[in-house]
Amino acid sequence: MASDVDQTVRTVQAGILSWVLPGAGHFLLGQRALAWVLFLAVSLPYWTGVAIGGVMNSVNPRVNKWLFAAEMLAGGYTSTCFVASSTLQRQTASMPIEERFRRYIAIYPGSDVAQIYLATAGLLNLLVILDAMSRSQYGAPTFHRPPESSAGAAAT
Amino acid sequence: MTSAMHWLLAEVWIPFVNPIPVRPGVRLLMLLPLALCVAVVYRAIRARTLRGLPWYALLTFLNIVGGMALLAIGFYVLHEFVLHFWT
Repeated sequence: MASDVDQTVRTVQAGILSWVLPGAGHFLLGQRALAWVLFLAVSLPYWTGVAIGGVMNSVNPRVNKWLFAAEMLAGGYTSTCFVASSTLQRQTASMPIEERFRRYIAIYPGSDVAQIYLATAGLLNLLVILDAMSRSQYGAPTFHRPPESSAGAAAT
Repeated sequence: MTSAMHWLLAEVWIPFVNPIPVRPGVRLLMLLPLALCVAVVYRAIRARTLRGLPWYALLTFLNIVGGMALLAIGFYVLHEFVLHFWT
């Protein structure tokens, strides 16, 4: 019973850690090389998207709530960027609107590329979260199959 | 806002705060790194070990890029067809 609870706690921990920092859940489970691979594969598109789009409008639920929902799947990054975006909006509120647009808001095609990168990074992190939880619970990847021999034994 | 902060925000280019301009021609090329990241995650979450991951990720990357190219060609042909016969 206690080990079941421990297992559940560990699974939830792995999921939450992956949400906060991509790959951290795998790191907790001891799969450190995989953790680094997943960290890089999610962080690279996320921060490329923020760099291309600029933090003010790219991570802003008032601009695009569905994009923000996808971004929130990489929760640690998006929370940080949302605080930065809100702060920047307050600090530049007195600027002329043309100046604000010119300096802080990406235009086509950069805005499109940034949205695609950010949404993809968030959705990729959903896969990473689910995989960390699966590996914690079953000791196997998300889409694991039972070994042939045990499947055959179960069938007979 | 302090004057120093105002000067910083108005005059200095700051990564992640000021957007990087993307030229229209670069837009298509931006598919490649994104497809590579998708391929790596897709393969990594199916792997029990990292052995062979780079090779399988490369194959998936080529599949994605090839599939996108075929889709682009297909839609281009459809577009030309519509322009030629329906207008």
